[in-house]
Amino acid sequence: MAFLPTGDFDMKKIIFALAAILLLAPGTQAAPPKWEQSLINVQATRKTYNPSRPWSRSSSTTVKTAMVIGKNQFLTTAEGLQDLSMLRVQKDGRGTWWDGKLKWVDYHANIAVVSAAEEEFSEGLVPVKMGNVDTSKKDWQILRWKSGNVEKRAAEFNQFLVQEGRLTFIQHLQLEASSEIDAVGWGEPLVSGGKVVAIATGQADNNIRFIPVKFFRKVLAARQAGKNRGLGYFPFVWSPVANPETYKFLKLDGEPRGAMVLEVPVIPRVKGRLKPKDIILEVDGFPIDNEGYYRDPDLGLIIMENLSTRGKLAGDVVKMKIWRDGKAINVNYPLPPIRYTDKLLPERTFDQEPEYLIVGGLMFQPLNVPLLRAFGGNWRTRAPFRLSKLASELPTKERKAMVALTVVIPDPYNLGYQNARWLPLDTINDQRISTIADIRAALKKPINGFHEVRFMKGSSTERMVLDADRERETTQRILRHYRIPAPSFFGTN
Amino acid sequence: MNNPSLTGSKPFPTLSGHNMKRHLWLAAILLLQGTFAGADETEKAVVQILTAGQQPNWSTPWQFGSVRRSSGTGFVIKGRKIMTNAHVVSWARQILVKRPQDSRLYVAHVKYIGHDCDLALLEVEDSLFFEGIKPLEFGKLPKVRTTVVTYGYPAGGEQISFTRGVVSRIEMQTYAHIGNRSLLGVQTDAAINPGNSGGPVIQDGKVIGVAFQGIPGLENAGFFIPPPVIEHFLEDIDDKTYDGFPQAGIRFESLQNPAYRKKLKLPDNGLGARVDSLVEGMPAAKVLELDDVVLKVGDYPVGSDGTIIYGGNRLQLPMAIQEAQSGGQVPVTIWRNGEKIEALLPVESNKRDRRTGNQYDLPPRYYVYGGVVFTPLSFDYMRAIPSSSSTRNALVYELFYRRNEKPKTMRDEAIVVSRILQDRVNANLRIVSGSLVDKINGKKINKLEDVIAAFEKAEGQHHLIEFQKEGAFEVLDREEADKANKNIARMYGIPSDRRL
Repeated sequence: MAFLPTGDFDMKKIIFALAAILLLAPGTQAAPPKWEQSLINVQATRKTYNPSRPWSRSSSTTVKTAMVIGKNQFLTTAEGLQDLSMLRVQKDGRGTWWDGKLKWVDYHANIAVVSAAEEEFSEGLVPVKMGNVDTSKKDWQILRWKSGNVEKRAAEFNQFLVQEGRLTFIQHLQLEASSEIDAVGWGEPLVSGGKVVAIATGQADNNIRFIPVKFFRKVLAARQAGKNRGLGYFPFVWSPVANPETYKFLKLDGEPRGAMVLEVPVIPRVKGRLKPKDIILEVDGFPIDNEGYYRDPDLGLIIMENLSTRGKLAGDVVKMKIWRDGKAINVNYPLPPIRYTDKLLPERTFDQEPEYLIVGGLMFQPLNVPLLRAFGGNWRTRAPFRLSKLASELPTKERKAMVALTVVIPDPYNLGYQNARWLPLDTINDQRISTIADIRAALKKPINGFHEVRFMKGSSTERMVLDADRERETTQRILRHYRIPAPSFFGTN
Repeated sequence: MNNPSLTGSKPFPTLSGHNMKRHLWLAAILLLQGTFAGADETEKAVVQILTAGQQPNWSTPWQFGSVRRSSGTGFVIKGRKIMTNAHVVSWARQILVKRPQDSRLYVAHVKYIGHDCDLALLEVEDSLFFEGIKPLEFGKLPKVRTTVVTYGYPAGGEQISFTRGVVSRIEMQTYAHIGNRSLLGVQTDAAINPGNSGGPVIQDGKVIGVAFQGIPGLENAGFFIPPPVIEHFLEDIDDKTYDGFPQAGIRFESLQNPAYRKKLKLPDNGLGARVDSLVEGMPAAKVLELDDVVLKVGDYPVGSDGTIIYGGNRLQLPMAIQEAQSGGQVPVTIWRNGEKIEALLPVESNKRDRRTGNQYDLPPRYYVYGGVVFTPLSFDYMRAIPSSSSTRNALVYELFYRRNEKPKTMRDEAIVVSRILQDRVNANLRIVSGSLVDKINGKKINKLEDVIAAFEKAEGQHHLIEFQKEGAFEVLDREEADKANKNIARMYGIPSDRRL
């Protein structure tokens, strides 16, 4: 039953009357789904960290919506399920919370499957059917539990778009619809024709973002078959070509067409590499126009980035026709898997406790975007310029990641260095440093009784020296003095 | 602390300026005038400077803005010259000076100007101007807590004004006029307001400073340029040219850490600053090495916090280097490999970083081809573009960080496309204003002249302009662009396709 605002009695009557007419109308076949048997609440409690005190812990709880997709399998979005410390599930929108667990998550696709610890929870629950978005239909509704009832709010199609996802740096298919509903974006299904066609991921004013079933269907199917490789993507940088002279310069006659490859990063390495100044003429048989768009049979005109996730997974081959050196060639382009570590400063560090290492009061931490978010929502302008610039750089063969001295915990041992902070590290004891583990290894090789610390050229301080013999004892003293539970945490060691 | 701002030029007063605030100011001035007996000779030497200035537009570099009128203060010194602040007369198209109690205006022009130290010397065409004026003499660096009086023509009235205060603090200050230099500055609680700039600060009948800047939001804090800086300026122009304050190109770090001192075999005596890095291309790199410890500069022992004692004030070490003239040498005692070494440290005025500060009097260089406007990247250019510009981060890096991080990749001057002058020939280009140029027709662009040569020597059908960002490039039809140049210049009122 739909939730209706109080005092809307006339509207109620009209809707019930319409419902009755629809039910009695000829051609009505299957009974409409009983959504209350297919929707559950998920309560996710996750650990949160204070980047300036990475050993400290706090928690945050989110209540999300999930839908039944199989026996004791509930599909929701991945957001809010990172760093989980507790997960519970609830049916009927009220009553007992049951212990649950995260069965599987794909952060880039932003979908997850949870289950109840006891199968008994599933009794009476019915899997949803999934379908594709039909923009011509006017029966779109967003569903969620509210005060023990399934709230149903009408939604209206706005647009398909291919943009950066909530948890990923790749651009993928999303759906935008408008609705009067508030505070959605936590896995609420968008239904049409009795089927789930998309899942809500976020909201801005009355505009709600969804990931369509069409986007994640293959990922989910691969997971169910135990063969999920995750999504792949186009890691190269391309540009539209507005200038017809560019095509002439590259000896491509005829109508302006094709998008220009500008930059091909070293990481991830892809077989069948593209080259700068290649023009991408076709992808999987779809002609690419000069703006980098193609005409999708289901979506209409849409940007070619969609073809990296359109029914494809990492490792799948995308067939490209390329204009290179004055002739067309075919390139089989295997999609590389998306990794947060494909960026010099990873954008996310889900499910890893923050790494740190304290050496004689110098605190070293891996440089990543979650760390820089300590500068606030507008960290790109508030963080030290050099660090925010590093966040937009790509890893190289020589340096795949960065570590920084983030703060100096004052002690006579580190006197003179007390004002140093946010300095990206280059070497310790002549060993190049990319990870916290590298530091640990480097500290085993002091030079003549000293640890020689070098920061990236251009830092406000480029060199420091520590007494290697006294380091361990000093670190222990500092830990006791400042009540820090451990000198380090290595997530991967 | 807020950034300092120039207090110098005030706009000419208008009727709308006759408000209560103005009357209060006037009262203060009258009060001081009444209590300041016997200052006639000094007062006569303090003149008002009225300027009509015009600044270029750095994003449309062939254009100049509207004429801006402003005023400041100056004072007569020996040699029939007027000393004032550089910022009072920068970009001036006309300079007029007015003596106290004299209704006449005299035409003046700049003889010498030091933008790094914000000082200038003016000459007056009419020699009658100096009649009856006794030049002011310079005194020594004042002591903190002693009393000083500022003379000038600040906003709020027409007549000369005097304010009394004490010397609050003496230390290195960023000079706001140029923006990228720190020299010795003196803080006082004597009121220094717009219009005071260039005015003398007097103690015991002698000039012990030139009023020049304040810090917005900081109450009772004005700053003046002290005698060591003034004397350096005057000595510098002895050879008829101004070179500027020297630098060595060293980045010092304190050496307070016991382990670092032990590694360098240095006694724990509180002396010595460590050479942390050396600026590429500057002369210190010929003499010093990383981890050298500078124990003494000139006659000044260097503390382990990188300071010296100068006139009873603890100042940053560069003060000792700035005492020398550009091209000179400073004796230094350094500690290297456990031994003391005496050396001569060559110092010179650094011209390489001038684009990271405010530039004056030389209008921006540019070249226009096919409606694409090329100009060198500078701090002035960056101030002319919106802070939200998508290219801003790349420009900040290029201008301020590349020199230190990747000095070998530095160009003589980075060139940006400042804008596209719309025309059929460039209508399809998608170049964002502020895009940094990498190559043109395959030639790496190190300076503006390279841009011109690359276009003028091209022979192919197309010009290829490559940018620094992500391999982006654009293409122009050469013949069409050549043909369009004249029309674009006429349409946009560009007097010349270049200024070099």
